[in-house]
Amino acid sequence: MTGPLSGSDIAAELLRASESGPPVVSCTVITAPAALAARPGDKLLVRAGGAVVGSLGGGALETAIVAAARAVGGRREALTLAFAPDGRRLSGRRALAEAGEVVEILLEVVAPPSVLLIVGGGHVGRALGEMGALLGMSVAVIDDREEYASVDRFPFADRVICGDIAAEVARFPVDANTYAVMVSRGHKQDEASLRRVVGRGAAYVGMIGSKRRTRTVLEHLRREGFDGEAVASVFTPIGLDIGAETPEEIALAILSEIVLVRRGGSALPLSEHGRTRTRLPDGDAPPAGR
Amino acid sequence: MPADEVYRSVSDALAATQRVVLATVAHTRGSTPRRVGAKMAVRQDGSFVGTIGGGCGEAEVWQEAMATLEDGQPRVVTVDLTEPTEGEDKICGGIMRVFVERFEPGDSGDGPLRDTLT
Repeated sequence: MTGPLSGSDIAAELLRASESGPPVVSCTVITAPAALAARPGDKLLVRAGGAVVGSLGGGALETAIVAAARAVGGRREALTLAFAPDGRRLSGRRALAEAGEVVEILLEVVAPPSVLLIVGGGHVGRALGEMGALLGMSVAVIDDREEYASVDRFPFADRVICGDIAAEVARFPVDANTYAVMVSRGHKQDEASLRRVVGRGAAYVGMIGSKRRTRTVLEHLRREGFDGEAVASVFTPIGLDIGAETPEEIALAILSEIVLVRRGGSALPLSEHGRTRTRLPDGDAPPAGR
Repeated sequence: MPADEVYRSVSDALAATQRVVLATVAHTRGSTPRRVGAKMAVRQDGSFVGTIGGGCGEAEVWQEAMATLEDGQPRVVTVDLTEPTEGEDKICGGIMRVFVERFEPGDSGDGPLRDTLT
């Protein structure tokens, strides 16, 4: 579906994408040479399925912009790209300096923020809430104790839910944009909430606990007939091994693992990359961080 | 401030047949307070939702946003945070370019926002 779009149409579509999805890549002309059909402020939207809404004058330039928008996918939230009016990408200062005319396009992936579902409002949960909000995640907290599931304790959370933990987790919407973390006061509660979240398609499910205890919990779930693959994909014991001790450090270790899952990476210190690579034959080199 | 609240305020303004300006960080160099994509909506009464980093950089952009509200002309505002000014701390030390555009209520019928460019 292409054709003229009003400002209201665009605003409505971007609002929908940012609130509930599916994501849209918004392409806005920022600067353009005077002779170009597309003017600053003109927009084209590329929907999740690849459909294009609106027009930037057609031709090779529009084709190149749409291709760039599709390539942006979910990786980067926003960036501005430069093109020549004939659609050539201009990257690097030299290309920009040599090009006579430049069209700048702001590409923005408009999508709902990732949801960090924290089960358990204790010390680790609280630190997770603050740090998760800092990372731009929409924070949700579930606890069955009023003093822990409180807005005062979680001022940055979008949702603070007090109620029976298992029931509330079961009721909570979980999808591929959800990162669920079980850090409640005891392994019984963690196990109960794990049952309600495993196999529902979350991007990440993690549970705190010692190696021995968490193994027992996973064994319970397997024996009850939970999908083996889904159980095996639970991150437990939780977090990256950074030697975390305090609740805040543990929260950092957990969120580091979540970022690792979201963005990909090696979880190695960047300074170790080169060294490791020189030790290993080419084929076994860890994936480069950037 | 999540982006959806800024889009919400744009939508609300348009639904109330009010013009509204959207300012978006389009480009950054060096250390800047907000990343590319950070947004601020400015309403006809000058009130705003969202932030592109606060401080005098934001005030500069707000001024340009009010001009765009008036004349409909999109603008690219360059905010230079590298030079400290008297009595104010610009601790960021980068440069950002902010795209400022006006949204019109109703149907333009002539392409996205084309009617803003008379």
